[in-house]
Amino acid sequence: MKTNLASWRDEWGYHLLLLIAVFLMLWPIVFMLSTSLKDLNQVFESTLNPLPFPPTFDNYTNVLENFPLLTYIWNTFYIAIIVTLSKALTSVLAAFGFVYYDFKYKETIFNGMLLTFFIPITVLIMPNYLLMAKLGLLDTPYGVMLPSLVDGMGVFLMRQTMRGIPKPLLEAAILDGATPWQILRKVVLPLIKPSVLAISILFFINSWNEYFWPLLILQDKSNLTLPLALQMFISAEGGSEWGVAMAVATLTSLPPLVLYGFCQKFIINTFMQAGVKG
Amino acid sequence: MSKNSFQAALYLLPAGLLFLVFFYWPLLQNAYLSLFSWNMVSPNMKFVGAENFSVIFASPELWKILLNTVLFVVIMLVLNFVLPYIYSFILGHVVTRWSSFYRSALFLPSTLSLAVASILFLWIYNPLAGPLQIILSWFSLESPRWFKEDYLVIFAICTIIGWKVFGYNMIVMLAAMVAVPKELIEAAKLENASNWTIFRKIILPMTSSTAIYVFTITVVFGLQYVLVPVNMLTQGGPDQGSSNLVYIIYQYAFTFFQTGRSAAYAVITMVCYLLFLFVKNKYLEKKVYYEN
Repeated sequence: MKTNLASWRDEWGYHLLLLIAVFLMLWPIVFMLSTSLKDLNQVFESTLNPLPFPPTFDNYTNVLENFPLLTYIWNTFYIAIIVTLSKALTSVLAAFGFVYYDFKYKETIFNGMLLTFFIPITVLIMPNYLLMAKLGLLDTPYGVMLPSLVDGMGVFLMRQTMRGIPKPLLEAAILDGATPWQILRKVVLPLIKPSVLAISILFFINSWNEYFWPLLILQDKSNLTLPLALQMFISAEGGSEWGVAMAVATLTSLPPLVLYGFCQKFIINTFMQAGVKG
Repeated sequence: MSKNSFQAALYLLPAGLLFLVFFYWPLLQNAYLSLFSWNMVSPNMKFVGAENFSVIFASPELWKILLNTVLFVVIMLVLNFVLPYIYSFILGHVVTRWSSFYRSALFLPSTLSLAVASILFLWIYNPLAGPLQIILSWFSLESPRWFKEDYLVIFAICTIIGWKVFGYNMIVMLAAMVAVPKELIEAAKLENASNWTIFRKIILPMTSSTAIYVFTITVVFGLQYVLVPVNMLTQGGPDQGSSNLVYIIYQYAFTFFQTGRSAAYAVITMVCYLLFLFVKNKYLEKKVYYEN
C-alpha cells in the first residue's frame, strides 16, 4: 500500500484535471441560480459574482404573476408522467416476450425495435405531424404524447436486465404451474424493479426536458411546456431580462435536479451495472 | 422457453404497433412524399418524380450542409467521445479518492434540458455583456459574435452539447472501465508501466465495445441534440452556417413549407445514418474484444 502522501504526490495533476472539468460543468448551473436571484442592476454590474447581495426573489414573483407558470408546470408533468408509464410498460412487456418466448425472426424483430432508437427525430416529424393533424390532435398534450409512448432503448435495457435472471428461477415457477403472466408479475417484476425504476426516472427526465416535438404540436400559450416557455424569454421578451429568463430556467431544471439529487447513486449504479453495450 | 408464438405476439404487440405506426410508417411516407411537390396545405400534390433529389444534388446548399455536418461530428467526437474516454480512465483507474464526488458532479448537467442549456449559453456567450466577454476583456480580447459567424457558430453550439452530454458518456464509459480487472492494472503498475502505456495496451482493447457504442451515440444523437440550440439560437443561420443534415429536414418542412424537398432530405439523411450504422457494424465491431 502506498502512503497517503505518496498517492497525493502521484495524483495531484489528475485531480487538477478533474477539478477543472467539475468547475466547467457546475459553473453554468451556479451562474444560472445566482443570476436568477439578482435584480437588473446586479445582472449587469456584478455579472460574475456568484453571490448576489442582497438576493432578490423579484424575478420569480415577476414570472409567477405575469405568466401561467403553474399551468406550464402541470402541462409538462402531465405529459411526462403518461409518457414514462407507457414507455416502461411497453418496454417490460416486449422485453418479457423476447426473453420468455422463442419464435421465428426473433432477433430481426428485436433489431427492428432497437433500430428505431437511432432514427433521427426530424426524419419522423413531418409524417407524424400530418398524422396528428388528421387525428385532430394538434395543440393538445395527446399529440405530444402519442409518438413518444414507446422507446427502443427501453426494450433493449429491459431485455438485458431480464436476461440476468437465473434460468432455474423461471423453470421452478413453470414447474409450479405458473402462467407466463403470473411469472412476469410474481417472479420477474420484483427482481427487476430497481432497473425499471431507474429507467423510468430517465424517461421522466427526458420527457420533462423535451423541446423539439412539443414545439411543433403546441401552439396556444396556455398549452406550452416549460422548455417551450423558455423560448419566449429570448425572442419576444427581448434580450435584457436575463434575471427573469434564468428564473424560468431554474424552475425548469428543478425537478430533474431534485430527482437526480435523491436518486443519483441509484441512477449511476444502474447505468454502471446494466452494462450498456452496443 | 416457451414456443407459443401467439402469446409472444401479445407481449410484443403494444410496443410493436407503436413502433410501426410512429417510426416505420413515417419512413415509407417520406419516400412517397419525396416524389411530389407540395406545400402541406394545398389540396393538390404535384407528382414530380425524382426532381426533388436532382435539385438537391445539384445545389451548393447540400455541400455546405454536409461540410457543416462533418464539422459538428468532428468537434462533438472530441468533446463527447475522446474526452469522456480519457476522463473515465482517470476516474476509474488513476485517482484513488473522491471519485464518487467527481462522478456525481460531472453527471449533473446531463439531467438538464437542452433548452435550459441553450438559454444559459446564449447569456454566457453574449458578446456585449455576457460573462465570457468579461473574462475575455481581462486579457484585452474582444468577444466575437459567437452565434453570428461561420464555423464559430458550430463550435459554440458544440460546446453546449458538450457540456450537456460529457457526463453521461463518461458514466457509460466508466462502467466499462471498472469492468477491467484491477489486478491487471496493478500488475502492470508493478512492472512500472506508465498510465499512458496502461491506457493503450490494456484499457483500449478491453473497453472497445463500449467505446464503439459511445462513438455511435455521439454521432447519431449528437446531431439530434444540436437541433435544440440551433433552433432556439440561430434557426440554422448565419446563412445556413449552422444547419446540418438533420436540421435541414425540419427547415424545409416547417420554415420553407416545401414538403417534397423536406421528405427527399429525410430519405437522404436516413440513408446516411443507415450507411453509418452498417459500416460501423461491419468494420468496427469485428475488431472488438467482447467480454461476454
